Amino acid sequence: MNILSFSGFVPAQICDTVRFIQYRGQRNIPHYCGYAADFIAQVLDDPQVDGCVFPRTCDSSRVLASYLSECEKFVYRLHIPARRDEAAISFLSENIRGYKEAVESYYDVKLDDIPARAKRINERNRVVERLYAALPELSYSAYLHMLHELLQTPLREQTVPDSLPGGAGGKPVYLVGSTLCAADLPALIEGAGMNIVGDRITESKRLFSAPPVPLEGDIYEGIATSILQNNVSPTQNDFAFILREDMEEIRRKGVKGVIFVTQKYCEPYDYLYSVYRKAMDEISVPTLKLTLADSADSRRFDAAIETFADII
Amino acid sequence: MGLSSLQLQAKLMREYYRDFSKYAKGKPPAKKTAWVTAFTPVEILEALDIQYIYPESYAAVIAASGREQTLLKESELQALCRDCCSYACCIEGSLALESAPRGMPPRPDVLIATNNQCNTLPNWWNILARRYGVPLIVVDYPGETADRQSAYGYVTAQHMDLIKRMEQLSGNELDDSRLAELIEQSRTSVAAWERVRKLLAAREIEPTLLFDGISFLITSRCKPETAELYEAMYDEFSQLPPANKSRKGIYWLGYPLWYHEKRYLPEILDGCRICGSNYISWWSLDYAGDTAMEQLFSAYNYTFLNLAQSTKDARLGEDIRRSGAAGAVTLHNKSCKCDFVSARNIAIPQAELEIDMIDRTFLDLGQAKRQMDVLLENL
Repeated sequence: MNILSFSGFVPAQICDTVRFIQYRGQRNIPHYCGYAADFIAQVLDDPQVDGCVFPRTCDSSRVLASYLSECEKFVYRLHIPARRDEAAISFLSENIRGYKEAVESYYDVKLDDIPARAKRINERNRVVERLYAALPELSYSAYLHMLHELLQTPLREQTVPDSLPGGAGGKPVYLVGSTLCAADLPALIEGAGMNIVGDRITESKRLFSAPPVPLEGDIYEGIATSILQNNVSPTQNDFAFILREDMEEIRRKGVKGVIFVTQKYCEPYDYLYSVYRKAMDEISVPTLKLTLADSADSRRFDAAIETFADII
Repeated sequence: MGLSSLQLQAKLMREYYRDFSKYAKGKPPAKKTAWVTAFTPVEILEALDIQYIYPESYAAVIAASGREQTLLKESELQALCRDCCSYACCIEGSLALESAPRGMPPRPDVLIATNNQCNTLPNWWNILARRYGVPLIVVDYPGETADRQSAYGYVTAQHMDLIKRMEQLSGNELDDSRLAELIEQSRTSVAAWERVRKLLAAREIEPTLLFDGISFLITSRCKPETAELYEAMYDEFSQLPPANKSRKGIYWLGYPLWYHEKRYLPEILDGCRICGSNYISWWSLDYAGDTAMEQLFSAYNYTFLNLAQSTKDARLGEDIRRSGAAGAVTLHNKSCKCDFVSARNIAIPQAELEIDMIDRTFLDLGQAKRQMDVLLENL
């Protein structure tokens, strides 16, 4: 069972999946974010991948099912609600149950360790949360490297260290967007004399800041509640929440600049950037937007980052 | 004698635009105002006497007036990426500069966005929510690929919540019989439009009339004048000569080009006629069911762009077959990524053009002509 998953919305409590990060295969579609196009390419082309699971959130993820409709591998689409009320929790919990049953049926396995996995994830997240709180003193590159390793490792083999190497300090900046396929970017930022003291990136806060899943009661409802009460993604259409949370953290940590990383054609982040930059302008915090062409974009952003470091 | 289709259109437009700044002369709207996306269950708003405005439609009007480029440039200055939907960019530029052909739309009291066509619109509505500081309601429609029973429960809970919040906003109480009447009116409008739409394959009809005519099904589907308008259009179109079948039938697969005087590209279609279009079928909503809640669920959860690929293929294939088209002009619209997949599995030859429905600079007319020539050689 080697299921490629597309997003942090896929509940790791159900079973292990491999989080999609990067693929250099054939691009199947233009005009969608390179991340979605490369995901499709890997699902279709990579013989080691025997299934995939992805949410229906942004427009690129909405069309994944169309492009994968003739694929003979395991394909599951999770309907992540655009709301977070009780009706949404109930709907999502049914969906998660459906996902579990679909995996069991396709792979002929029994997924009977969901509460144990939920407990382990609850514990793991609290450790990561402590590391996040200590970020101003830590190397962000080391922190991100550890997170990326977690995403590629089966849950039972995951270990989170109690501490990480210290950082070199520097001008405090905040990182927004997705660096899943740009793991070297934090090192560039740190190398330019900046210190990443907080973030809103896909694989950090949204990985661990979900409320713990209650181990009593309906486990599916507990997982759904945890997902929907987590720090929101821009695909969930609550920019006001994002701005409120981030502004508070940015003020509290004395952030001097925001670095906003997005994929070409990633509309949720493009729309968010429009309001985010205005909000930052209002509090005189400069922003730098870096746009990646696709998941294998290896361009260097040295010049832009160094200039930004000088500005702030 | 009844009113002509032109008179009915003028009447509907007068009513729709009455509170835009060019006509309102500083008077505030008499009703509470919602800005909505094109597949919002407006029967609920109409029943509660709330006015609803469609920014997307207004972007089309702006492009038709030839003023979109200045506004698109302004939206970039507002930090909105030009890769985003041009409806959004055009309106954001317009709101920033307070410039539009019919003046500015009345300020919203509430913003309502649905995701049954795309997720772009709810994203855009978030920007509007920050601009105006008013409540944003996102209605989430899971679509055909979700389990029907759980989707019905989820969507109905949201419709009930929308009713409650709109009752609070308007100070009115929903009258169930009025809602049923309005849904019936929408159904009548859809049926009347379907009769008009099907004439395109059979009569010598200028497609522009249909590309413009559909806008009333979008903005006024539950008003009685809309069905009346379509009945008048049907009567008028029925008098036109039969379609000249010596010209090759072409299916227009994608949006109208709002900036183009004709809304399509007659300059590359010599010897052809447009005999069908999927865009003009998108608002033919199916209000199936016994109760108002079932009917609204059926209409708005199963919009074309919210269907499974196999259902889209079947529905589009049937519409193309019925049109008698020999080939298709398939538009890859920068602004509508969800529509890219509509044409994935159609069986007739296609000329695939890169366009945007608002931004005229996306079209390379020479390249489009060459692609069309290749298509015609293949037919």
